[in-house]
Amino acid sequence: MLPLSLLRAAQYMPMLVELKNGETYNGHLQACDGWMNICLRDVICTSRDGDKFWRMPECYIRGTNIKYLRIPDEVIELVKEEQTSNSSGGGRGRGGGFRGGRGGTRGRGGRGGLTGRPGLGSSGGGGDRGGGRGGRGGGGRGGKFPRAN
Amino acid sequence: MDNQRNNQNQQRALDHTIAKGCANLLDEIDKRLLVVLRDGRTLIGILRSVDQFANLVLQQSVERIHVGDKYGDIPRGIFLVRGDSVVLIGEIDQQKERYAPLKRVEMEVILEAQRIEQEIKAERDARRAQAFKERGLLYQTEAGITEDN
Repeated sequence: MLPLSLLRAAQYMPMLVELKNGETYNGHLQACDGWMNICLRDVICTSRDGDKFWRMPECYIRGTNIKYLRIPDEVIELVKEEQTSNSSGGGRGRGGGFRGGRGGTRGRGGRGGLTGRPGLGSSGGGGDRGGGRGGRGGGGRGGKFPRAN
Repeated sequence: MDNQRNNQNQQRALDHTIAKGCANLLDEIDKRLLVVLRDGRTLIGILRSVDQFANLVLQQSVERIHVGDKYGDIPRGIFLVRGDSVVLIGEIDQQKERYAPLKRVEMEVILEAQRIEQEIKAERDARRAQAFKERGLLYQTEAGITEDN
């Protein structure tokens, strides 16, 4: 877990950012990028000497100005959880794709049924075709964003 | 346990990308380290992560303040230190630390001692700035050019 990945995992968490000039910014992390540029919400800025305070609804800090960030202890726990769920979540994503495939074959089976067995085909054919499409779509989603499932 | 394995994997994955004989912090992961920042502050914490910029993640960290032969620790939690504000990183020799001629004091005591030390320093800086000014020179402190009062 690289430091910047940890920062990304700490999104929406309260944190303290100290700049190189000694000012500190307390706020909730809204966004960050690979250069450690960050966006904070509900910010309280404290002057270098700690005697002046400013409130601001949001602020953007260029990464190069940052000296350090203090992040809540819970982040590490959160990251541990995410790492374990990620490893199993990836499997679930692939599973979703496979299930989608099976849905497709069942759909074809239904269509075959339409010619041979009207009763089964009329009820199952349409539904199965829909199921097949849904399955493929689900498979695609599962592959791209494993954790969305 | 999981964490350790993750770090080992991380290390193994990075080992072949790093040239032999190159300075490298990966061996220091999960050790308790002392980090000195450019503003003179000293942090002590367990190094959990590091990247190519020497951005560091320190867990269970404390800020150690030294005044004379006394020192005190302030608990600070998780730190994400930006690499360019790091001066040095050092491993702590627990054996030698025990016999160091330093006395540990309470947080309040050390903060008070630090405040007094800073006041003395500020006073000295002001006097020096005044003397420089009388000679038509500018005196520059760490905090920047001192303003005349």
